[in-house]
Amino acid sequence: MKKIFITILSAALVFMSCQNLEDLNVNTKDPSAVKGETLFSYAQKNVVDQMVGTNVNFNIFRFFTQQWTETTYLDEVNYDIVTRTIPGNHWNTLFRLGLKNLDEATKVLTATPVVLPENSIIRKNKLAEIEIMKVYTWGVLVQTFGNIPYSDALDVTKPTPKYDDAATIYKDLITKLNVAISKLDVSDEGLGAYDNIYQGDASKWLKFANSLKLRMGMVIADYDQPLSKTTVESAVASGVILENADNAALKYMANQPNTNPLYVDLVASGRSDFVPANTLVDAMNALSDPRLPFYMSQVDTSSVANVEKLAYVGGEYGFSNTFSAFSHISKKIQQPTFEGLILDAAETEFLLAEAAERGYSVGGSAEIHYNNGVKASILYWGGSQTSVDAYLATPKVKYTVAASGTTWQQKIGTQAWLALYNRGWEAWQEWVRLDYPVFVAPSTAQSEIPVRLIYPISEQTLNGGAYKAASAAIGGDLVSTKLFFDKH
Amino acid sequence: MRKLTFLLACLLLVGVGLVHAQSKSISGKVLSSDDGQPVIGATVLVRGTTVGTITNTDGVFKISIPGNAKDLVISYVGMKTVQVEATPDIIITLASEDKLFNEVVVTAMGISREKKALGYATQELSGDELSTVKSDNFLNSISGKISGVQVKRNTNIGGSTNIVMRGSKSLTGNNQVLFVVDGVPISNDNFNYVAPTASGSQSTGAVGYDYGNAASDINPDDIESVNVLKGAAATALYGSRASNGVIMITTKKGKMSNTKRVGVTINTGVTVGFVDKSTFPTYQNKYGAGYGAYYDSADGYFLLRDINGDGVDDLVTPVTEDASFGAPFDPSKKVYQWNSLYPGLPNYKVATPWVAAKNGPITFFENPVTYNTTLSIENATSNGSYRLSYNNLNQKGLMPNSDLTKNSFGFNGSWKVTDKLTASGTSSFARQSMTGRNSTGYNDNIMSSMRQWMETNVDYKDQKDAYMSTGRNITWNPSYSSETDLQPIYWDNPYWTRYQNYETDSRDRYMGNLTLDYKIADWVSVMGRVTLDAYNQQMDERRAVGSVPTTFGLDRTDQGSGYYRKDVNFNEFNYDLMANFKKNITDDLNFTGLLGLNIRRTFNNSIASSTNGGLGSPGVYSIQNSAGPLPFPVETAEKIGVDGIYGSASFGYKSMLFLDATIRQDHSSTLPVANNTYYYPSVAASFLFSNVMKQDWLEFGKVRLSYAQVGSSAGFDQLNDSYSVITPFNTPMSSVGGTKKNPDLKPENTASIEGGLEMYFLKRRVGFDLALYKTNTTNQILPLSLSQTTGYSRMNINAGEIQNKGVELALMLTPVVTKNFRWDLKINWSKNDNKVLSLIQGVDNLQLGSFQGNVTLNARVGEPYGVLLGTDYTYANGQKVIDASNGKPVKTATADHVIGNVTPDWNGGLQSTMTYKSWSFSFLIDMQQGGDIFSLDMYYGLSSGLYAETAGNNEFGNPLRNPIVYNNPSVGFASGYASTTGGYLNQGVNVSSTGVITPNNRRVSATTYSGFGYGAEPNKAFIYDAGYIKLREVSLSYSLPAKLLKGAFIQGLTLTAVASNPLIIRKSLPYADPESGLGSGNVQGYSIGSLPSTRDFGFNVKLNF
Repeated sequence: MKKIFITILSAALVFMSCQNLEDLNVNTKDPSAVKGETLFSYAQKNVVDQMVGTNVNFNIFRFFTQQWTETTYLDEVNYDIVTRTIPGNHWNTLFRLGLKNLDEATKVLTATPVVLPENSIIRKNKLAEIEIMKVYTWGVLVQTFGNIPYSDALDVTKPTPKYDDAATIYKDLITKLNVAISKLDVSDEGLGAYDNIYQGDASKWLKFANSLKLRMGMVIADYDQPLSKTTVESAVASGVILENADNAALKYMANQPNTNPLYVDLVASGRSDFVPANTLVDAMNALSDPRLPFYMSQVDTSSVANVEKLAYVGGEYGFSNTFSAFSHISKKIQQPTFEGLILDAAETEFLLAEAAERGYSVGGSAEIHYNNGVKASILYWGGSQTSVDAYLATPKVKYTVAASGTTWQQKIGTQAWLALYNRGWEAWQEWVRLDYPVFVAPSTAQSEIPVRLIYPISEQTLNGGAYKAASAAIGGDLVSTKLFFDKH
Repeated sequence: MRKLTFLLACLLLVGVGLVHAQSKSISGKVLSSDDGQPVIGATVLVRGTTVGTITNTDGVFKISIPGNAKDLVISYVGMKTVQVEATPDIIITLASEDKLFNEVVVTAMGISREKKALGYATQELSGDELSTVKSDNFLNSISGKISGVQVKRNTNIGGSTNIVMRGSKSLTGNNQVLFVVDGVPISNDNFNYVAPTASGSQSTGAVGYDYGNAASDINPDDIESVNVLKGAAATALYGSRASNGVIMITTKKGKMSNTKRVGVTINTGVTVGFVDKSTFPTYQNKYGAGYGAYYDSADGYFLLRDINGDGVDDLVTPVTEDASFGAPFDPSKKVYQWNSLYPGLPNYKVATPWVAAKNGPITFFENPVTYNTTLSIENATSNGSYRLSYNNLNQKGLMPNSDLTKNSFGFNGSWKVTDKLTASGTSSFARQSMTGRNSTGYNDNIMSSMRQWMETNVDYKDQKDAYMSTGRNITWNPSYSSETDLQPIYWDNPYWTRYQNYETDSRDRYMGNLTLDYKIADWVSVMGRVTLDAYNQQMDERRAVGSVPTTFGLDRTDQGSGYYRKDVNFNEFNYDLMANFKKNITDDLNFTGLLGLNIRRTFNNSIASSTNGGLGSPGVYSIQNSAGPLPFPVETAEKIGVDGIYGSASFGYKSMLFLDATIRQDHSSTLPVANNTYYYPSVAASFLFSNVMKQDWLEFGKVRLSYAQVGSSAGFDQLNDSYSVITPFNTPMSSVGGTKKNPDLKPENTASIEGGLEMYFLKRRVGFDLALYKTNTTNQILPLSLSQTTGYSRMNINAGEIQNKGVELALMLTPVVTKNFRWDLKINWSKNDNKVLSLIQGVDNLQLGSFQGNVTLNARVGEPYGVLLGTDYTYANGQKVIDASNGKPVKTATADHVIGNVTPDWNGGLQSTMTYKSWSFSFLIDMQQGGDIFSLDMYYGLSSGLYAETAGNNEFGNPLRNPIVYNNPSVGFASGYASTTGGYLNQGVNVSSTGVITPNNRRVSATTYSGFGYGAEPNKAFIYDAGYIKLREVSLSYSLPAKLLKGAFIQGLTLTAVASNPLIIRKSLPYADPESGLGSGNVQGYSIGSLPSTRDFGFNVKLNF
């Protein structure tokens, strides 16, 4: 009997030792290797989604420039950005879903062996396009927050990365952008179908990169004028976006989860949270702006039953508004396939107008670029050339007429604000730089109108030391702290 | 106890042979000297042989003895063994040994041990204690009955119960107790449990259902006894799984009945529940729908629309608004309300008086009714035994259209194959079907509407009639952007939600084992066992066309309709081989030993799919009926293997001094090769000092001391990075995973030291068992939250240390014993001090969960596990700082202030049982002291003006919601408040910009929403003490006396009336049950849209044939 027992025991022991237990711990459902392009696609979509969406947890920049306001729940229009951890969501999306995947895409593509000679050009273009997307994303982060982790970032061996000086990062980004531009070979393909903005077209990426460079150059105009000037001028010389056909816009699809995020927030959610704000609507009404019907719907303002009197009416910014009593966001914007614009001809032209005012050599006067900007915007939204001409002839719009403003900041600032409708972050940035138009914070506001976002709460708890140093370095982690480029 | 010892007697008989041919047969009877009653299940052995039998229920035995044999040895656990000469019709009287102190309990690996020999704490419950007052989840019945076990049930139908022993030991891993049935661990997976890596899971308050925990498949009527092994020394033989304590369940085996025929038991009962109103809101009844006075009408409270077509605008309720900060009720005012907007409703285009709802939300609930029936058939002979049982449970829930049905079959049998070989097995099959679990969390939860967002003018009976008569989603809350836009905006008609958007799920559970015991020699036997625990679970979630779009389906995007399905397939195999040794080394020194191996393989597969963009055709709930292209399904395939070898040696000296040592080696599949083999040792000693002291007053005294190391392995796939594949956007997409994996993980380690003292006095009428312990869990495997600038949100690391120190006291009292009356009291009390000693270098906070309102649940160095962080008040000179411009408290700028802790200070229970002749009356008081809970219901519900607190009067006797009135309106605040002013005054101080501190005299205006609640106070204001004192169980039973049944077909009849949770004696959390969280898991301390609790009353009949 003992023998039997011993035999069974040893048989079991043999069974146990023979089996390779470690083989069980293999994830057979998720890949351990992917194509770099697939990582780029996802990163690009997440970055653009973050920039164009209006989910109150992620993107509330439209409120900072009073283009839209809220109806019932008024925390965000009163600049409560803490309750919903909005800075954290902006930060995390751009860092982790955006930059980390872009970084990984670069690594994977670099490590993928090149077989045919022509592939090396394509790969160079792919890597340059990824690099441009990275510079774009880093730039948004610096302009939003100021100092951020950069040299230590995206490296898990440094779990508490230090923050680098914003201006230093920004200059390095311009350098990186220059390198990427120099590597683009417009004679060949790039990321192809994996790029949902330009389908990898290197010549369009070149224009996008130059326009981005133009924007970055203008951002530092008050900080480092010489660098600003050379950056802007070289960008213009190499060719920026001047036609709507070259706009950087992500082409969304008809079905979730690949629709424009605005469709999710405005339509699919079935909610009635946002209406155009009176600040914007009143300004546009005063100009009889031809873009009004493309921006929003009319509402019946008649007090007599069964008599219709349609008008554009904006909700009072910062206060409760009955949804049905105000203009609504236009149907055009609510389409699931409405494209997600991140840089366009209008924005470029207004930047060029500003550059011209600052005496940079960008070809053409400030007025020409201003007019081009207005025109590009109206045509983009669906207006006609006739309406463009009529609008530009209005005294309140005409660049050289005092009614359109006494300073170029005022003139360009106002029209850029109107053109950058639905481009909350960009409109806010232009306002931060140009300080026009003048917005009044609601009496119930929790703070001044933010000129930057505070750092995420999670940075306080997860990267406290570096956070404290950064907070001190920028002059306090407040929404009112002016960043290095914001001199006025 | 008799039942248990009988079982053990059966077990000990393994290898006791039967007699054949040339033998003589004699019979006899065994009686107890205590009461003269027959001793059932006493072992009768022919001395010097393995021939033997056991006595039947009359104490009678019949045995064939070999011709040359002379003496019989009769033994029974708890009684002194006697040796007598074998003569016909012999009557043997067994004297009681110190009955209590020779109690035998089932310990780790199913080994029966004398309780007095154990060097660690255990506590037992009989099956009756769990099954008298039943619950749909038997885990709930443990609450308050065992010291050191914290049981948190919740009010979800079929919901999960959180059960943690001696404090949370793992920072982010599983802290739930391990369940072992008949020696074999079973799955207690919680389907609501999602690791904190997945944000927005049901467990943190996002939309979802509590799918319960798998141990609830056990039928309480099948439980013979439960033994709770609390400390690591008790559980060390289970190795990697043992760190959180073990609940050992022994199921019922077949017994011989008095009549020697097949025994049949029917146990059937019905329970009816009633809402405990203290756990449901008290609504204000003075103001109706709206967020303030900013709508169209002159007073600002109503919309103006020409409803009746007379060319004049009429007053219309602001139906889009889900708050009650609107117009004061005024029965003379006629208003067009929601029910006047829908053609076909009786009140279409009819204005109705502006009054509070006659039938408020509470009328929505139905009385839950539970039917529970168990039928069992059993028998035993000297050759074997069997028991078959069938259980049916049907529960109709508190909400309309909720129904839980469980059917389970169980079999338990053993057969003596040869003298030395016994085969036994158990098999059970349980099917649970559920329709209409209540949704939990914030969105799409009827309860969060009732507790946070609703109009007090909405009559729920009207809502019911509107749905029932039309079958349409006629909601009180339409978008109403135009007169024809009646699409719901935030809330569906609640009856539509219940009857259209319901979930269903089912689980088929198989558990079984086959065991062979072979007795090699007197001193050694070997056991081999194969066990299967398997289930298939299917979960279906529906959303009907026409509903409010909400987070739904795989992508968790807003969907107006859809279908989601998840299938889980789990199975676990355990192969055990174990040798038991038992030898008396000398007369005074005996030895028992154990050598075994365990091979465990766990497979857990799942697949989830959902429609996208709504349903193609309404009413067809299938994946292929998707309006848009499908998102990628999510498939998982987890495989885990652990091979363990273990051994134990126990020495007993003169039944006075005992020493135990165990060791286990585990080899785990989930750790890297270099670290995947590790050892768990334990030592335990106990000393019966009463055997030395021999004092009259002291019946029993024992000290014990133990030390053990146990731990846990990593979860599946924590070592190597992989990418996530994302539903394509024209082209395939992928992403780097959110958590950085770690190829160098080590096992977690829990070192535990425990001491105890157990004493009985005064003829055992007073006794106590005291345990002191300290456990330190180190090398924790945890997904450390990272700054996402690293490119990851988390990183798997080994770090951190949690210490749990605690005291447990069980007090047993028998204040009265007479011939017919007996009163027993059992008091359990336990206190666990938990402290997070360290995390990782440079990090002092680990976020465990994140709630709405920016409140987070954390492990923080130097604090107990589970601190709540959020915004706090600010203070100056020890007083609250009040904003001089609006009268509201100044909140801290950041949300990282400690505002509470979810860990209770102590838990306790008082159990009283009185028996008088055939009557028995018992009750249980269960209490928790301390522990905090964040109420999102109060956070929002006060703000939206639902609760009574928001509609009282201020110190001037004016309604709080009246506007602020100054003495001189043109001067304003400086002129002081008029006696007609509304609003309220916060006590505190104002701090000027130059730092001057003055008492606050600025009133808060409460005319619109945010005058109370989250807009007016920091998070700290919504933290409540989660402590409670509850009358948990009351039962009264009557058993028909045996003499009345003499000769009757019926052998026993017991009638029981029970009450479960009849009274919450004390609690601090307003309008909700502090136990009613989201479900089990590490994320606790969050009260959000929970169902009210019910007081349940039942009646039960138990019949034996």
